[in-house]
Amino acid sequence: MVAVSETGVAPVGAPVVRRRIQTSRGYRVFQVVNALILTAVMVITLYPFINLLAQSFSAQGAIAAGRVNLIPKGFNLTTYKTVMADPTFWENYRNTVVYTVVATLIAMVLTTCYAYVLSKKNVKGRGFLIGIAVFTMFFNGGLIPNYVLVNDLGLRNSIWAIVLPNAISVFNLLVMKAFFESLPGELEEAAMVDGLNTYGILWRIVLPLSKAVLATMVLFYAVTFWNSWFSAFLYMDNNSMFPVTVYLRNLIAGATGGTDQSASGDTALQVAANIQAVTIVLTVIPILSIYPFIQRYFVSGVMLGAVKG
Amino acid sequence: MSSTQPLGAATAAGSRPARRLRRRTWRQALRRDWRLYSLAVAPLAFFAVFRYVPMLGNVIAFRWYQPGGNLFGEYWVGFYYFQEFWSDPSFWHVFTNTLVLGLLSLLFTFPAPVILALLLNEVRSSRFKRIVQSISYLPHFLSVVVVAGIIIQLTSTTGPIDQMLGHLGHAPIDFLQQPGWFRQIYVSSEVWQTAGWGTILYLAALTTIDSQLYEQARIDGANRWKQTWHVTLPGIRPTMVTLLILNIGTFMAVGFEKILLIYNPLTYSTGDVISTYLYRVGVQSGSFSYAAAIGLFESLIGLILVVSANFISRRVVGTSLW
Amino acid sequence: MNSFSRRRFLGVLGGGIAVAALAGCSTHQPGGASSGSSGAGDLSSNKVGAMDAFAADAQFKATAPLDFGMMMLNNPNYPYKANWEFFTDLKQMTNVSVSATTIPQSDYPTKVGVMVGAGDAPAIIPKTYHPAEQAYISSGAILAVSDYLDLMPNLTATVQNWNLDSDLDTLRGPDGKFYLLPGLHENVWVDYSIAVRSDILQKHGIDVPGTWDEFTTMLQALKTAYPSLYPFSDRWSSTQPGPGANSLLATLGNAYNTHAGWNYQHQTWDASQGQFVYTGATDDYKAMVTLLNSWVNQKLLDPASFTQSDAQAEQKFADSQSFVISANAQEVVNTYEKDLTGVAGATVLKIPVPIGPAGAVNIGSRIECGVMISSSARKSPNFVAMMQFLDWLYYSEAGKMYAKWGVQGQTYTGSVDDGTFKLAPDVNWGGLNPSGTKQLNVDYGFFNGVFAYGGSSNLLNSQFPPAEQVFQKVMNQRKTLPLDPPAPFDDQQQQQTTLWATALLDSVNQNTLKFILGQRPLSEWDQYVSELGGLNSKQYIDAVNQAYQTYKKAHG
Repeated sequence: MVAVSETGVAPVGAPVVRRRIQTSRGYRVFQVVNALILTAVMVITLYPFINLLAQSFSAQGAIAAGRVNLIPKGFNLTTYKTVMADPTFWENYRNTVVYTVVATLIAMVLTTCYAYVLSKKNVKGRGFLIGIAVFTMFFNGGLIPNYVLVNDLGLRNSIWAIVLPNAISVFNLLVMKAFFESLPGELEEAAMVDGLNTYGILWRIVLPLSKAVLATMVLFYAVTFWNSWFSAFLYMDNNSMFPVTVYLRNLIAGATGGTDQSASGDTALQVAANIQAVTIVLTVIPILSIYPFIQRYFVSGVMLGAVKG
Repeated sequence: MSSTQPLGAATAAGSRPARRLRRRTWRQALRRDWRLYSLAVAPLAFFAVFRYVPMLGNVIAFRWYQPGGNLFGEYWVGFYYFQEFWSDPSFWHVFTNTLVLGLLSLLFTFPAPVILALLLNEVRSSRFKRIVQSISYLPHFLSVVVVAGIIIQLTSTTGPIDQMLGHLGHAPIDFLQQPGWFRQIYVSSEVWQTAGWGTILYLAALTTIDSQLYEQARIDGANRWKQTWHVTLPGIRPTMVTLLILNIGTFMAVGFEKILLIYNPLTYSTGDVISTYLYRVGVQSGSFSYAAAIGLFESLIGLILVVSANFISRRVVGTSLW
Repeated sequence: MNSFSRRRFLGVLGGGIAVAALAGCSTHQPGGASSGSSGAGDLSSNKVGAMDAFAADAQFKATAPLDFGMMMLNNPNYPYKANWEFFTDLKQMTNVSVSATTIPQSDYPTKVGVMVGAGDAPAIIPKTYHPAEQAYISSGAILAVSDYLDLMPNLTATVQNWNLDSDLDTLRGPDGKFYLLPGLHENVWVDYSIAVRSDILQKHGIDVPGTWDEFTTMLQALKTAYPSLYPFSDRWSSTQPGPGANSLLATLGNAYNTHAGWNYQHQTWDASQGQFVYTGATDDYKAMVTLLNSWVNQKLLDPASFTQSDAQAEQKFADSQSFVISANAQEVVNTYEKDLTGVAGATVLKIPVPIGPAGAVNIGSRIECGVMISSSARKSPNFVAMMQFLDWLYYSEAGKMYAKWGVQGQTYTGSVDDGTFKLAPDVNWGGLNPSGTKQLNVDYGFFNGVFAYGGSSNLLNSQFPPAEQVFQKVMNQRKTLPLDPPAPFDDQQQQQTTLWATALLDSVNQNTLKFILGQRPLSEWDQYVSELGGLNSKQYIDAVNQAYQTYKKAHG
């Protein structure tokens, strides 16, 4: 896919530079080629999803014979009804929503605060504060120490076991810090003259200017928490507390994981392929639908340029 | 008050001379910026409790550890485990594979979102743009198991790629049995999965570019291409550099789960990486200490890489993480 | 035992690298292990709720209401419910309730590893596959259950009646104890074999093969009838430790007197020499590889068999692109037959395992996965009652019948021993009673892999449809070969051999596939064997033989 876009740019872009007079025509050609490239990207990306969607509406036999491609074969809604009738699925679904909202909220508060401090070039001890964070990108504790810690803090079987240990992603922190650094310093100075303190500046000046990055970070965190399963798997002991990702993983692994090798009466039954497809579709859709609400902030960031000028 | 603890630690980390002077300035800094420091208290507590405390467990790289026994191991064995992997030829084999695969991924997955974002930026119809964007994010949401399933399907001898080759009169290739194809398959799937999602940061950065700069460039007679080169790219350079440095630091951490699902003994020679090797060693014995030792070694490499990348970047382009 | 292995370890390191532990003992005091070889120790303070006169075949009922913590594997096909009749009836019958830690099946061993490793596991840890328990022995996190067999009359009687001593020996560590309460079978249960499209065989007048030679002939005949297809396209490639097509290799390995596929193990007992030899270098292994290579050369076996996903292999079989595939009883019913329902006249037959150079024999252990006990449970006042409870549930006839089929007159009628067994009209399991509307495992919690292990051949047969019972009858007539003698590694040998084992296994797997697929000519076999030598195959086998001798001297 990259190969396509790379070769797509060079031959179109290069002649434009050489023949300045034909800029507008060259640019039009580029627009067409660009649209083609992006359409190709869409097709390549979409194929597996349409396939998945088609499977979710198809009969088991048709999937097994590999006949389902882009259009459902043996159209039916039975699997959707079955999955949606499972109370555990909805219970876990609700957990996922709650965990994602709470975790994202807390992560945003902590990350924003710390990133703002780090973005101040003249704050004393800045290098140390950054070092503390960056170091943890590379060095971390093992599975068992983490488990013992969460257990000893009494967080097991509570939402905090999922929220607290993952409250700051250093990657997001550094991205946010870089964004804050790029904000014009004059505004804050002006605000200080107007008598705003640090909290006021952050709340009234910096955050309103940072909608684009805040929206991005919310998206990043929300998607991460929505998709995460390992913490919940590790720290929860009860079906009713699992997020839907654990439910999904158990379903998928039931079908793809190695079959019991030993002669056991519990050889994994194959979970029908369309049940998997339905569950994947149902889990992916909500987080996808957040995006349009967030997207407008990417556009609104333009105002920043105006302020800057 | 609680903010004094990390600050005290910071003093110790600072340089030795002029200690008294420093002390005074610390006091001043605190008095002046206490509100700012107060914002760092909760995050620092987070790092201390949930990152640095569990890190103590890494001491088992130097100690004899029994699962279910003492958390920090039973007794010291010094560099025993380090010597063990240092003298293990298999380790160096997978180490090389990890380097190659990581470098290749970096080489392709880093520029892909930049190019895609630039292309998207040129799209005039905001509706088309929005559709492309939304769709290109989709692969990010798929679990590794599903992605691996797709890869296996596409590359099988009955899959679409071999069908296409068949039309061209080429004999079918069993891609997943050929060590020579493993890297290409892995890297393309990584690009497929990350390129769209990666554009988000660049698109956010693009919105911050001052529109007057484009105006200025147009007046100076720059065409679209030149505008891209002289205005757009410099505008997103801090974001690019930040991400590049971060990627360099983590390029050893190649996708364990995906490789585990698509490699097989025939492709060990190119596809086997440190994490999958550890998995095979670990499955048989649960050698936590051995894994911890290799983990520390990997971490050290990552840290060195990121520090050097940061240093070079600060010298050359003036942007850096810290 | 702890200090014993510690001393040995120090010896190996020359004492120079290692420094004595800071604390004399680990924080987790092992129960049985710490009291040395004296065994069970004093149990007088652990008898709350226990029955005084608990004996084999007696109904267990705790004298006080008890509750035991237990890890509960959650199978997505029948998700765990706390209000299953299994639990409510169990409570009534035995006065015992179970506090479950629910763990998704997908990652069960991971969580067991973390919880036991953190010293935080519930008392009862079922679904443990030997040798997974061995990692926890030296820290004392789990109990040496062999010290408490006198609390378990049903287990003891079963071992005696079915002559299971040598099977149990395979579980023992170098200290002569075992740490797992295993599921016990009356006979070796052969489940995996090969499924064929019997309608296709019939259509072309091809005989069902009885030996591997006849099997080859069958593949050739199919190839003649369908020249553009690979008649055999196989599955089960993602399982450890084999290189791919792991069920086929395991089945063939048995027929060739060797270990391959998911049965691969580094050592093979050579009875004539009275010692172990390295499996991947034996002539038997080579003969097996040669046969597979000839299949690939004649295009009888799809080369993708060793790498494709199960779904792909199933697709080819469902789509009549192949006619032969590895199978077990459940896959025949739940996958192959189901997928072929759209194909008119298609029938699937799981053929009796073809006979090879080893003769008409069954190879294998009569032990399946089992239960670990956390050593912390030893200190509980209810310890004795718990062991009695486990003994009744997992080893008494009544307990096994209850765990598998439920309550007579409600979920089933008749008896498995006289062949009158029948599921109740409204209850279904595994397609045995298709008209039943309730699922025995989903709705009642019976036939749950956590509780239903092992059992008599009659009990096992009761779960099979008629076709599978025919298969079992044929297999049961074959002779069962004696097991390899035990050769358990101690800690230090374990540590030392682990790295060799990984490199060796990688090389064996890689080259097995290369030889089979023709990527490496078989003329290079000797070179391959010397490559194994370079990877310490000799040192590995020496360690095994040393462990064998040591064990024989101490416990033999």
